[in-house]
Amino acid sequence: MTLAKNVYNALEDIVGAKNISDDPAVLDSYRYSLAHTAIHLGPYYDTFTPRGTAVLLPGSTEEVQAIVKLCNKYKIKFKAASTFWSAQGYPSEEDTIQLDMRRMDRVLEIDEKNMFAVIEPGVIGATLQAETMKVGLNTHLPGSGCSCSPLASATSYLGSGPSNLYGGWYYDNLLGVEWVMPTGDLFRIGSLGSGCGWFCGEGPGPSMKGVARGFIGSKGAMGVYTKCALKLFAWPGPEHLPVEGTVPAYKVSLPDNFKAYTVAFPSWKAWADAAYMIWDAGIGYLAHRQYNMFGRDLKYAMVKILTDPTKTLEDLEELLEDPEVRRVTEESKRDFQIVLAGMTPRDIEWQEKAFDEILARTGGWKVEAMNEPEINKWMLLYLIRLGHKNLNLVFGGSYDGCFGFLGAIDFGTSNAEEAAQFKKEWEKQGAIVEAGGDCMMGPIGGQGGGGTGLWENFTCFDPYDKESVEGTLEFFDACTEFGLKRGWGVGMEKWNSQNRGSDGRTTPKEERDRIHLSAPQPSMFRYQHKVREALNPNDLGDAYYETLEDS
Amino acid sequence: MALEDFAAEMDRCSQCSYCKWIPFDQMKSWRFAKNCPSISYHNFNSYSARGRYAVARSLIGGQSGYSDTVRDIVFTCMTCGSCDVSCKICRYNLEPLEMVRELKFRLVQDGQGLDAHKAVVESLNKEQNTMLQPKAGRGEWADGLDVPRLPSEKAGVLFHAGCRFSYDQNLQATARAAVLLLKSAGVDVGIMGEREVCCGGRVYSMGYKDEFTRFAQANIQAWARAGVKTVVTSCADGYHAFKRLYPQLGSQVEVLHTVEFIARLIKEGKLTFRSQIPMTVTYHDPCHLGRQGEPYVEWDGVEKKIKGQIVVYEPKRPRYNGAWGVYDPPREILRSIPGVELVEMERTREYSWCCGAGGGVREAYPEFSAWTAAERIAEAKATGAEALVSACPWCETNFSDAISALGEPMQVYDIVDLVQKAMVQGGEGK
Repeated sequence: MTLAKNVYNALEDIVGAKNISDDPAVLDSYRYSLAHTAIHLGPYYDTFTPRGTAVLLPGSTEEVQAIVKLCNKYKIKFKAASTFWSAQGYPSEEDTIQLDMRRMDRVLEIDEKNMFAVIEPGVIGATLQAETMKVGLNTHLPGSGCSCSPLASATSYLGSGPSNLYGGWYYDNLLGVEWVMPTGDLFRIGSLGSGCGWFCGEGPGPSMKGVARGFIGSKGAMGVYTKCALKLFAWPGPEHLPVEGTVPAYKVSLPDNFKAYTVAFPSWKAWADAAYMIWDAGIGYLAHRQYNMFGRDLKYAMVKILTDPTKTLEDLEELLEDPEVRRVTEESKRDFQIVLAGMTPRDIEWQEKAFDEILARTGGWKVEAMNEPEINKWMLLYLIRLGHKNLNLVFGGSYDGCFGFLGAIDFGTSNAEEAAQFKKEWEKQGAIVEAGGDCMMGPIGGQGGGGTGLWENFTCFDPYDKESVEGTLEFFDACTEFGLKRGWGVGMEKWNSQNRGSDGRTTPKEERDRIHLSAPQPSMFRYQHKVREALNPNDLGDAYYETLEDS
Repeated sequence: MALEDFAAEMDRCSQCSYCKWIPFDQMKSWRFAKNCPSISYHNFNSYSARGRYAVARSLIGGQSGYSDTVRDIVFTCMTCGSCDVSCKICRYNLEPLEMVRELKFRLVQDGQGLDAHKAVVESLNKEQNTMLQPKAGRGEWADGLDVPRLPSEKAGVLFHAGCRFSYDQNLQATARAAVLLLKSAGVDVGIMGEREVCCGGRVYSMGYKDEFTRFAQANIQAWARAGVKTVVTSCADGYHAFKRLYPQLGSQVEVLHTVEFIARLIKEGKLTFRSQIPMTVTYHDPCHLGRQGEPYVEWDGVEKKIKGQIVVYEPKRPRYNGAWGVYDPPREILRSIPGVELVEMERTREYSWCCGAGGGVREAYPEFSAWTAAERIAEAKATGAEALVSACPWCETNFSDAISALGEPMQVYDIVDLVQKAMVQGGEGK
């Protein structure tokens, strides 16, 4: 669909000729393949999100406001995205203007004393972390890694990641927000709205964080967040990470107040007990079951490849035959990674003692192969910077998570083995990577006494292979059926199917209504419908802000 | 290969945007975190490797056609390879740099080349150089230089000056110094003089593969006729062409950059320094010497899958990810020069920022090229260095031009100039 010339010209007047394009080739670089990752609705072979009508690169809040007001004037849908990790950031309909927030990428302020940073949408986790480390602070990073926008994660999605343990989920960390509402009006959320600065997301000032975000984030469907403040936490390390090693096997040596371990347990119950005890003891800087994303059978062999710059995936099969690799693989079946960071020498000493005691009580152990210095230093850097998260896609180019145990840690551990065995049977059919069934990965908990875990079972496939894609879809359908039968609910593999359908476009209303009505709390979507009517009267977002009309 | 041979990669590119940044592990600041000049300047996704995969897919699928915008998207790529390094932090089955090169080849094949590049190619075809200069003047840089002229005379080592050193009067002294350094160290070095022709590397990076092949074959044959066993060059573009591209056409000569040769001579005690050069310098890794300076490894294999859907290659495919480029010899040289203090920029070695001269960008997009150089100069300034040292005449020229335009006091040196200065009693160089 082509944008009317007068509208194009008006938009061009706002952002300048260099920052607008409706060239078909440019528009096609803002489409997402539904055979890819993090869709949570497919995969669908050779299917893309719709081509928008134009892409704009706004450079300021004022420009965003002007664009949004113009969209309201002409009733044109718009979709803003920052780092484009998943399909959620792309248009759901052809007649949509894509806002790429890349140009608004400044770290505006780091308030060392009050421990927060004010950032724009285009800032990524890695640059924010690099800047905060200079002043002894750190930022939480989302599980998708440091390539992603912290603002997008905090305002528009979940923001779960390895540092949940110490830093909370990103939505916990969201303080003041500057929000260009769907009408183009500017709204300052929290303390910012009462002229008191950025320090609080609730008050003094309008407590609109929940309304603006909606259910697990508004995903670019309710206006544009142009600035936000994020809570930071202590970084007891150097100003810069002293990285060494040969690409891609980078590693870091940090002072003795940092320890990184891979630990494993004799049973899932012991695993969960350890997670709870870690919470009770108040130790740990970050913790995640990370490398299991490669699969129970492949993870240690993959670690060997990733820590040796001379090795490639072609070495995998030989490594899997290595008796030592097989031994470590078996030893680390039920594992997770943890980084302890002591704020003082006594602190790290206490944390180490407490952690050893937890291992003793649960029968857990440190996987010694992961303490080998070169591997340990690699693991430490990997977990702190989260700069290798595209390893999610290392095997064939695509992955998606299935099952997705969102809840108490016990929920995940109680069912992990059954889900793994279910997947293992499907792996034999060849459409997905044969990795041992258990590819469950995720944090060991969110903030608050053990809190919430989120485990997804990674399923890797080849987006270029029709049989692989369609076989994966068949498997995901089976996962949903199995999950429902087992009382686990609909798994992560279908999380977005109420927003976007198999053609890459908005899910038909009847289907959305059916899904929302069958949700445990449909009233929430009715409430969001009223919010949408009030704040987005021309409905210029998409179905990622989930609504349900009163019946 | 054809562009269509990259169809699988176009689908397997996971659109993660790692190609827009230096390796995340290496980030030290917000200011110097970006890696690709093209996306950094133009900002639309299309100007990154992930975007170019999408654009290529759209073109070969017929969803879009050629336009001025598409030509800009393709030809503003400097083929610096920084995207390739960052992509391969996590991926083992994508070759974004190769794909973009193939995309350039396709546009040129379809008559979509740029006028600025056509002028260079015309000069190449007619005058055998990319400097738009007459062929007859090629050997003048070496007038009076007492070294054998190949093939009429014999020498074990051929010094290939390259187009810019041959014709740029500001740089000719560096080429002369390089030859004299080798000679003074007892190396049996000769030159081709007026019979030298372009390596073809620069037009290759503009998308003119056929012209490159013709010139490469001519050079390979000329070297064979002259009995050349080793080629040394001070030009990073030439080095890359000889080291990585020529072997694909059958070349078997040993290829060394001057910095490798000099570092070797210093280690062997064949070069000694007589002067102090009290100067803080920073070193810029030329893309074609650093991350693209890895040796060519012959491979003729096929894709296969293991464990159901893991994409691998049979036999094991060589991996070019910048791990084994030429990074240490220039640093060893600089550290060995008395008085020189080497300080590093934030983006260094395999994740260096490009000088802006590559891929035909200097010729076709001078403003963008100058901006790219200015970015690097800002980074060099941030180190506190007085001088920016490199090992490529294209880098040196682009930096010198940008520094003049900016009015910056930063000095620019080819590493050979510093070596020569330190070798001469009293510190006189050039």
